[in-house]
Amino acid sequence: MLTHKSTFLLLLPLTAIVAVFFLYPLGLIVFNSVNDGEWTLRGYEALFNSRLIAIVLQNTFEIAIGATLISLALGYPIAMHLARQTPKRRALYMIMVMLPFWTSILVKSFALAIILGENGLINDFLGLFFGPDFFIPMMFNRVGVFVGMVNYLLPFMILPILTSLMSQDPALRKAAEIMGAGPTRIFLTITLPLSLTGVMAGVLMNVVLSLGMYITPALLGGRKDVMMANLIDFYTRKTLDWQLASAIAVSLLVISVILAAFLQRSRGRGAAL
Amino acid sequence: MSDKLSPGGLIRLYRLSGGAVAVVGYLFLILPSVIVIPISFGGRGELTFPPRAFSWDLYADFFTDPAWWGTAVQSLQVATLTTILAVVLAAPASYALVRGTFPGKQVLSIVLLSPILIPLIVLGLGLYLHFASLGIVGSTLSLVLAHTVLVTPFVMVSISSGLRHIDPALERAATIMGAGHITIFFGVVFPQIKASIAVGALFAFLISFDEVIVAYFISGADTMTLPVKMFSAIRWEISPVIAAVSTLLTALSLVFCVAIMFLQKQDNGSSQ
Repeated sequence: MLTHKSTFLLLLPLTAIVAVFFLYPLGLIVFNSVNDGEWTLRGYEALFNSRLIAIVLQNTFEIAIGATLISLALGYPIAMHLARQTPKRRALYMIMVMLPFWTSILVKSFALAIILGENGLINDFLGLFFGPDFFIPMMFNRVGVFVGMVNYLLPFMILPILTSLMSQDPALRKAAEIMGAGPTRIFLTITLPLSLTGVMAGVLMNVVLSLGMYITPALLGGRKDVMMANLIDFYTRKTLDWQLASAIAVSLLVISVILAAFLQRSRGRGAAL
Repeated sequence: MSDKLSPGGLIRLYRLSGGAVAVVGYLFLILPSVIVIPISFGGRGELTFPPRAFSWDLYADFFTDPAWWGTAVQSLQVATLTTILAVVLAAPASYALVRGTFPGKQVLSIVLLSPILIPLIVLGLGLYLHFASLGIVGSTLSLVLAHTVLVTPFVMVSISSGLRHIDPALERAATIMGAGHITIFFGVVFPQIKASIAVGALFAFLISFDEVIVAYFISGADTMTLPVKMFSAIRWEISPVIAAVSTLLTALSLVFCVAIMFLQKQDNGSSQ
């Protein structure tokens, strides 16, 4: 019913805004990364030669992969638990996943600082047993970053896994059971393999989100936990080296786009099934 | 289904431990969002849990200190304008993408949805460079435009899914009977996708209201939003007022979360 002309007119305003305030700024970063008045590859050379950047890249990948694996280990049993509930009880438990999902990351980081800090809840509690001077450092270090990241990432892991668990035909499990398969075998040969599309989507989503993480390492991490996003901020604001900031941003952008393309493909296949 | 499983020892162990992991997981998820509530009523002294006394002092501080309340007003303003602009842009575009057929449709829809997948820090840097060259860094307009780009994909996803659930035959019938585009949209399409538009608008408002990274890059001293103020407050001073702000933000999230779940349920119910 839509003519080409009206389709064009309906799409024009949004397309124009996205072109000017999304595509153009991304292009500007690419341009800045190779040109600071004259054409140069200095920014990208620094990516490979600077010791600081090498350490930050290593941090970023270690933290992203570690946080994603912890999030998967914790998220899968939660998704299983949700999938097994009656619809009414599931709605209730879902609030426990959706409320944190919609809570500002600043609120969660602030709360975790109160829980994990040197005078925080956990250390106060431990102090009752081991004396007031005793404390376990859990903030401004890797522990704090992992706790904060996993807390942020979990809903993004649980939701796609839950979707793929819920879309499984219960008749398959019932048939396997009638034919004598034990619960462990049913899980390993039916439930788990059929949920892998959800696992894949959750893992990719987690990795994409954690590679670009800025708030958590800034608030809960220490000097040794600086990630790529923090480094972009540092070069933009502190040293005003926009070229180097842009070169790092372009690398982060390229990695994210590649992972997002995989995510799109894994979702497409999931939808086709 | 699992109640029918044979009670084998191994699976019982797994189910117990799996259930235990799930319970620990729920606590871990929900604890940070709710622990700020009691602390926010503990008064101006050191942040303690459980609080030693009950007081509204921190809320009074929040609503009377212009450094806090002013940023909250700014965030409300930015989020409201962003929501309006995003819905006005996304509704027609979603309609064209769902109902229309044209070459390059697939590519265009990926491009229009792609702001979801780009790290915010990258977009923040790009917009900072862009607005700096235009000379509008730090203006409310630049914040609204940046947030509009950011939230529009979420509005589009919501409205598109609403459109896919309604029968296009009704629109065809209206066209045959001579209704114009605008009549069809407001008379036929809009009443059926009201809930999807509302969900999209709620997404847009909450994402804009909570957004910190892009705003941190492009807002100025006069246009600072609440999350930016809160970020620097957590980073540099740990002012107890943050506990009150956090509680208000959690309450806002809870209201939005319940409203979205309710609207989505209603939407599914009416379309079947």
